[in-house]
Amino acid sequence: MSEARRLIIRAPTGLPGKFLSINWLFVLLLCVLAGCGYIALYSAGLGPDKYANRQAMRFAAGLILMLGLALTDLDLIRRAAWFLYGFALFLLILVARFGHVGKGAQRWLEIGPLQVQPSELMKIALVVALAAWFSRADWDRVGKPLFLIPPILAILAPVLLILKEPNLGTAVITFVVGASVLLAAGVRLWLFGLGAIAAAAAAPIAYAHLHAYQRNRILTFLHPERDPLGTGYNILQSRIALGSGGLWGEGFMHGTQGILAYLPERQTDFIFTMWAEQFGFIGGAALLLLLLTVVAATFAIAFTCRNQFGRLLALGIAVNFSLYVFVNIAMVMGAIPVGGVPLPLISHGGSALLTVMFGFGLLMSVHVHRHDPMDASFP
Amino acid sequence: MAGPTPPGDDGRRAPPPDATPARPFGAPRAAAVPRMETVRVTAPDLQRRAALEKSRGRLLLTAIGFMVLFGAVAIKLADATLIAPVRPKEPVVARIEALATKPAPPLVTMLPYHRASIEDRNGQPLAISLDTAEVYADPREMMDTNDAARKLKSVLPQVNEPELAHKLSTAKDFVYVARRITPREEAAVNALGIPGIYFQPSERRFYPLGRMAAQVLGGVDVDEHGVAGIEKYFDKRLMDNPAPLRLSLDVRVQAIVHDELQAAMDEFKAIGAAGIVMDVNTGELLAVVSLPDYDANDFGNAPADARFNRAATGLYEPGSTFKLQTAAMALDCGAVHIWNMFDAAEPIHFGRFTITDFEGKHRWLYLPEVLAYSSNLGAAHIADIVGAARQRAWLARMGMFQRVGVELPEAARPLFQPASRWSRLTTMTVGFGQGISITPLHLVRATAVVANGGIMIRPTLLAREPEGAPDPTSPVLTPVAAGFAPDADMPPEPKMKPPVVLDQPLMKPGTSAIIRKLMRLVVTAGYGKSAAVPGYYVGGKTGTSEKVSPHGGYEKHANVSAFVSVFPMNHPRYAVYMMLDDPKGNASTGFFSTAGMVAAPAAGRVIARIAPLLGLFPDIADKATIDASLAMPLQPAVPPGMHAALNGPVTTAETGAHGREHERRRARAAADAAGAHTRLALAGARAR
Repeated sequence: MSEARRLIIRAPTGLPGKFLSINWLFVLLLCVLAGCGYIALYSAGLGPDKYANRQAMRFAAGLILMLGLALTDLDLIRRAAWFLYGFALFLLILVARFGHVGKGAQRWLEIGPLQVQPSELMKIALVVALAAWFSRADWDRVGKPLFLIPPILAILAPVLLILKEPNLGTAVITFVVGASVLLAAGVRLWLFGLGAIAAAAAAPIAYAHLHAYQRNRILTFLHPERDPLGTGYNILQSRIALGSGGLWGEGFMHGTQGILAYLPERQTDFIFTMWAEQFGFIGGAALLLLLLTVVAATFAIAFTCRNQFGRLLALGIAVNFSLYVFVNIAMVMGAIPVGGVPLPLISHGGSALLTVMFGFGLLMSVHVHRHDPMDASFP
Repeated sequence: MAGPTPPGDDGRRAPPPDATPARPFGAPRAAAVPRMETVRVTAPDLQRRAALEKSRGRLLLTAIGFMVLFGAVAIKLADATLIAPVRPKEPVVARIEALATKPAPPLVTMLPYHRASIEDRNGQPLAISLDTAEVYADPREMMDTNDAARKLKSVLPQVNEPELAHKLSTAKDFVYVARRITPREEAAVNALGIPGIYFQPSERRFYPLGRMAAQVLGGVDVDEHGVAGIEKYFDKRLMDNPAPLRLSLDVRVQAIVHDELQAAMDEFKAIGAAGIVMDVNTGELLAVVSLPDYDANDFGNAPADARFNRAATGLYEPGSTFKLQTAAMALDCGAVHIWNMFDAAEPIHFGRFTITDFEGKHRWLYLPEVLAYSSNLGAAHIADIVGAARQRAWLARMGMFQRVGVELPEAARPLFQPASRWSRLTTMTVGFGQGISITPLHLVRATAVVANGGIMIRPTLLAREPEGAPDPTSPVLTPVAAGFAPDADMPPEPKMKPPVVLDQPLMKPGTSAIIRKLMRLVVTAGYGKSAAVPGYYVGGKTGTSEKVSPHGGYEKHANVSAFVSVFPMNHPRYAVYMMLDDPKGNASTGFFSTAGMVAAPAAGRVIARIAPLLGLFPDIADKATIDASLAMPLQPAVPPGMHAALNGPVTTAETGAHGREHERRRARAAADAAGAHTRLALAGARAR
């Protein structure tokens, strides 16, 4: 790359330059969200000790991880893409064989005191790998079916492994994230149409192979009153909490559903309900807006990136985050079946937070290196 | 949008004319260069640009898609909080309140409630249901079936590991791993953390007293449904009504009978035994024992012989114990009198059959002697005088031709000749208890009836409610107190006719009084002496019958020795029946295995032990009075103007040719009033 060109596109050089070119507004946004999370967890734990302080510590660690990744060269990330993917796949296979079993599913891997959920890591690794694959391809090449076989296999392998855990929600999200990268990379639209038709045809068969609890969830979603004390209990309690929040909410530490612990999983999956009960529609909408701003920012980073790898990577992470937010909030409001997806940056839980921050670190790296043309990627 | 300030989207755009020299962010000022520079756009550049443009369009599409989704979520939020908030409905609130007090909502529908427990008359539990769990697996969720099977084996020793591993590797979605595990085992299995393993609450029938009344209680199958005994008979009642089912059994009495029977069985090496204690006024069974028995908790593995309830299902020829019936029917219908004499000197030859006496006296016997010495010949003659019609009518009234009506599905139907084949020989043999097979319960009931004043009772395993029960201190037997009141608990039985239940006595009170004296006589002067218990005025009758061979005919060396007794004879309260199947005599009995040697002593020991428990105290003070009231001479004095051999109102019309024969015999007997041997008896019969 010529010196002149580098200068024209104003790519920062050197660590201080990179550090300064980090999107600090975005980082501030994340901190505000984490602050909301602290408040929500404070009320869920009836004080700071149970959840809030621990989560704040984790956020601090995640922030350091993110900033470190932001300074990492994008090309280095691309080189490491398949290694990262292979590592995540290895962990997924490991979890299938030796994983820790919790609540009837085998999703966790215990490494000493650390619990990791390889499916979370896999979603990021898949995005990186797919971005790396398509960053080398021009429009014509993406149109060749043979060229699409490896990336499709790369999507399906982890999706099937996650499905077997069993974790339907994460498997679907992983699939959608992978598909969105394919879409952005320029895979022909008719192929997506074909895929959609195939999926619609396979749905009844898939339903027959679902586990009883998964089927129950879908049925409960359709008729929450079906089983008000069993599977529908969560949703009904959540709806009641939202309803009692009203416009302005019942006030901090005053939600009957959340504070009196009728609301299950109120520190993880149903944290948004917890929040909305206390702060009402106004508070819920504000938090939603805040999350939406983060989503918009992630997409903006994808837009402004001037190299294909960075753009696809940013897009994948943006879609991943957006799906998280959407699925969680839609779930607690009873709009989609319950799936055990936390609300990123707000819910209690180390593994999810670290992977989200890991993704944002890569996103920041994309932002920092958005002007890097990465010419070497072209044939 | 919180994104960064958009830069020029590539190097093509011309800088504004008044631009300051550009420098990289954070770069030293010296690095600033003028913006004017020629950039050559190459073919690869154009390609890259095209791809970027394309992906930007797609990106926008994705972003718009998410905006739509989030817009929908925002609307939903407004809907849930403002437009249509869900208020907790009252029932839901109530259920939530209930939930708050309950530990957790059940995963699987709980059983409505336990199968009701069964207890004895004093409230001692005989069968209770305990909480257990069933472990099942969904093999589709299993990761490593061999490992799972090995782990499960380590905490559930009862499972068969290879078999389980095989079952878990099948493509089913439901496989039982183990049923009825204890809470401790459930916790251990849960701690294994095997995916695809689930629990289902269940219950397990537990019999805390083990062998106690095992055959009466019966058992349940894995689904807690009764398959035998009380459990089967009252299955619906036990499932529907959670109140304990109170039986008439008294475990203390049951234990004593069991104890004494087992001792006698061991002493005489019998192959089986049965014992019954029944309230002669109410029919309540206080003990029903059948040996060999088994631990009720191990019903599934019990051998058939142990599960067989000899007291209710076993059919035996009653033998000499039946002579009480013969005497009762003959006295009651007036066919004979207590002072009449019967020919026990000569065997009766009837076709190819010969009736003889065991250790006979070889002389004419008075009626009391017939019972005391248990003369087959005497009983055969008495039965013959009564005749087939009156005999059958009596037996029918005593319930001998139908099931005994006790609350056991196993209660057996007696075996007997149909009326068309009830010959004169049958009448005579039935007179001493052969040629009819009944259960011990039939015999106990019939004996109780002839002793209690003729009040029909139905043996029952259900405790009577206190209000209907006779006052235990009252010696007076009233028909209402003794009669059987239909129990509301009883489920209807379509197949079984209700037993004969009469408010009116089945016999004259005077006849019953004579029978009581005769029973007492057996114990004071007859073969039943070893059953005597001082102060309790035991009366009874021995019975030793040859076992009916499964091949027809009798087994010459196999006996059934029984003793049926009632005590106290002055105010009958309880009937005690002890029976040994195929006892072998030993040195202490002079190698005899007759009832008087083996069963009567056991009955005496049982009475001595249970009577105080049942609130009866030995009455020594009034011994002389009571003895006098029960006195019955072996050879009663013939009332003035009567003749021992002539005073039976026997009608020839009823007894036919044999009746005339008997008349002749009585004429001979009158000539030889001392009971000298005569060779004329049954000459006519022999001639035929």
